[in-house]
Amino acid sequence: MSESAYPIAIFFAAIFTNNILLSNYLGMCSFLSVSRELKTSLGLGVAVIFVMTSTSMLNWVVYYKILQPLGLEYLRFIVFIIVIAAFVQLVEMIIERVSEVLYAALGIFLPLITVNCAILGVSLFMVIREYSFVESITFGLGSGIGWFLAIMAMAGIRQKLKRARIPHGLEGAGITLIITGMMALAFMGFSGMLQIN
Amino acid sequence: MAARGKIKKTFTDPIGKNNPVFAQILGICSTLAVTNKLENTVIMSLGVIFTTTLSGVTISALRKFIPSRVRMMAETLIIASFVIIVDITLRAYMPDVWKQLGPYVGLIITNCIIMGRAEAFALNNSAGLSLIDGLSSGIGYAYVLIVIAFFRELLGTGELWGITILGDWWTNWAIMVMPPGAFFMLAIFVWVVKGVIIKEEEETAK
Amino acid sequence: MKQERMFSTRVYPVLFMVALTVVFISVVSGIYLTTKDRVLLNESIFQKKAVLYAAGIEFPEDDSPKIQQIYEERVTEVDGDGDQPDYFRIELPSGQTGYAVYVRGAGLWGEIVSIFGFNPDLSTFTGVEFVEQNETPGLGARITEQWYKEQFRGKSGPFELVEEGTSDAPGELDAITGASRTSEAVLKIANKAAEVAKAKVEEGDE
Repeated sequence: MSESAYPIAIFFAAIFTNNILLSNYLGMCSFLSVSRELKTSLGLGVAVIFVMTSTSMLNWVVYYKILQPLGLEYLRFIVFIIVIAAFVQLVEMIIERVSEVLYAALGIFLPLITVNCAILGVSLFMVIREYSFVESITFGLGSGIGWFLAIMAMAGIRQKLKRARIPHGLEGAGITLIITGMMALAFMGFSGMLQIN
Repeated sequence: MAARGKIKKTFTDPIGKNNPVFAQILGICSTLAVTNKLENTVIMSLGVIFTTTLSGVTISALRKFIPSRVRMMAETLIIASFVIIVDITLRAYMPDVWKQLGPYVGLIITNCIIMGRAEAFALNNSAGLSLIDGLSSGIGYAYVLIVIAFFRELLGTGELWGITILGDWWTNWAIMVMPPGAFFMLAIFVWVVKGVIIKEEEETAK
Repeated sequence: MKQERMFSTRVYPVLFMVALTVVFISVVSGIYLTTKDRVLLNESIFQKKAVLYAAGIEFPEDDSPKIQQIYEERVTEVDGDGDQPDYFRIELPSGQTGYAVYVRGAGLWGEIVSIFGFNPDLSTFTGVEFVEQNETPGLGARITEQWYKEQFRGKSGPFELVEEGTSDAPGELDAITGASRTSEAVLKIANKAAEVAKAKVEEGDE
C-alpha cells in the first residue's frame, strides 16, 4: 500500500488540485449534456457522489479480497463494471420501493451513471495508486464532490449564457468546452494548497 | 446498387457528418486525456478501433440471440472482454506505453462511442455492415485525436512522437499539455469543423 | 404454453449470460496465460535496465539477452528480507565498485520509487532511474524523460531546485516547469538518497 498519501490530503486533492473532471477529464459526456439544466445537474451530481463513494469501497474489497488472492487482477475491468452496474440496479430498485420522492428526484439518473466513465475511472485509479481502504473512501467521496462542484458551476454559468450571443459554431459543446478549460485553469490556482511530508 | 450505396454511407458517415467526437460529442474523456502525446494517442486510437470493430461485429452477430432484458449487461461484457485483450496485449508488448496510458485503456469500456454504436447500429444491422461502422467510427475518432495531439505535443513540448522538432528558440506552451489546453484545443477543433459544416449548409441552401 | 414463456423470459436470459460469460472469460484468460511469462520477463528486464541506467552502464536498448548478460557480469544483488534486493553492488565502467539502492518517497499522487546509483564514496550519484511513479502525464511524469534523469549524474547533495534548464552547480537540480509539486517531491527523495544508501550498505556489511 502507498505509505505516502494521507486520506485527508487525497480528499482535498480529489476536489481541488486534481479534480476528477477538470484535471483527469473523467465524466465528460454526461457533464456536457446534463449541465444545461441546473436542477438535473443537482440530481445527477448527488447521485454521482453516492455511487462513486460506494462503488469505490465495494471495488476495493472485491479487488483486494477476491481478485488479488486468486491472481485474477486482469479481469478487474469486467468485474468492476459488473459491480457498478449491479450496485446501481440494486439502488434503483431499493429507492423505487422505499421512497417515491427520492425516486422521482434521483432514480432516472442511475442508469446514466453506470456508463459514466468517472465511476469506473475512480476504481481504476484507486487500484493503480494502491490506496488503502480508508483512502479509497476519501478518494471516492472527494472525487464525487469534485465532479458535483464542476457540474454545478457549469450549470450555473450556462444559465447566464442563455442571454449571451455565442458564435454559431461554438454553440453547445464548443462553448462548454472553453468554459471547462477556463474552470480547469482556475482550479489550477489551488495547486499550492497541499503540502507533501 | 442500393447495397453498395449503403456500404459507402455506413463508412463515410462516422468519419464526417456523424463523427463520434465532434458531431455526437462522445468519447471525450479519452480524447482529452491521451492527446498530450502523439504516440499515446496513436496507440489508444488503435485500441479503440480494435474494440469498436470487434465488439460491433460480435454484438451484431449475436443480436438475434441477446435477450432484451440483459442487453446492456451482455454488451458491456463483450466490450469489456475486448478491452481486457487490448490491455493484456499492450502490457506484454509495449509496457512503456501501457504504463503511460494507465487507467485510460480500461476506460475504453465506458467510452460512449462503443456502447453508442452497439446500441444504435450493431443491434439493428448485419455483421458485415457493423464491421464497417465500427471501423469507421474508430477511424473517425482516431483522426480527430491525432490532429489535436499533433498540436498539443508540438506546441506544448516542441516534440512530435518524442522527437524534437522545434529547436531551442521555441518556448514551450506548457498549457497545451495541461488540462485547460486540452479543453481549448478540442473546442477550437469543434469550432473550426462546425464552421465548415455550417458554411456548406449555407451554400447548399442558396 | 406457460412453460415456454417461462423459459424464454426467465431461464433463457440467465443461460445466455452464463454461456456468454464463460466463453468470453475463457478467451480472455487464455490470452492472459499466453502473455503472462512475457509480462514477467518485461518487468524483470525493466528492473535490470533501471539498475544499469542508474549506474551509468551502457546497454543496447532492445536487446534483452545482452542486457541480461551485462547485468549478470556487473551487478551483484545483496538480498535483505524484502522481496527486492537490499542494495546492488556494481562494477562501474571505471572498474571501481559502486552501489545502487531503491529510494522511495511521497509523490504528488502516490509513491515515487527510484533507483539511485552511487560512486564508491556513497554520496556522488552515478545516475537515477524512476521505476514507479503516478505523476501527472506531460508534467510531473516528465521525471522519466532523458534530460531530467541525466542531470543527476555526477552530482552530490544537499540539493536545491532551480528553474528548468538553469542548473549549474553540483548542488542544483532543474525543476520541471508546471510540475512544482512533483519537482519538490523528487528533491526530497534526492536529498535523502545518500543517507538511505549508506544505511543499506553498512547494514549489509554487518
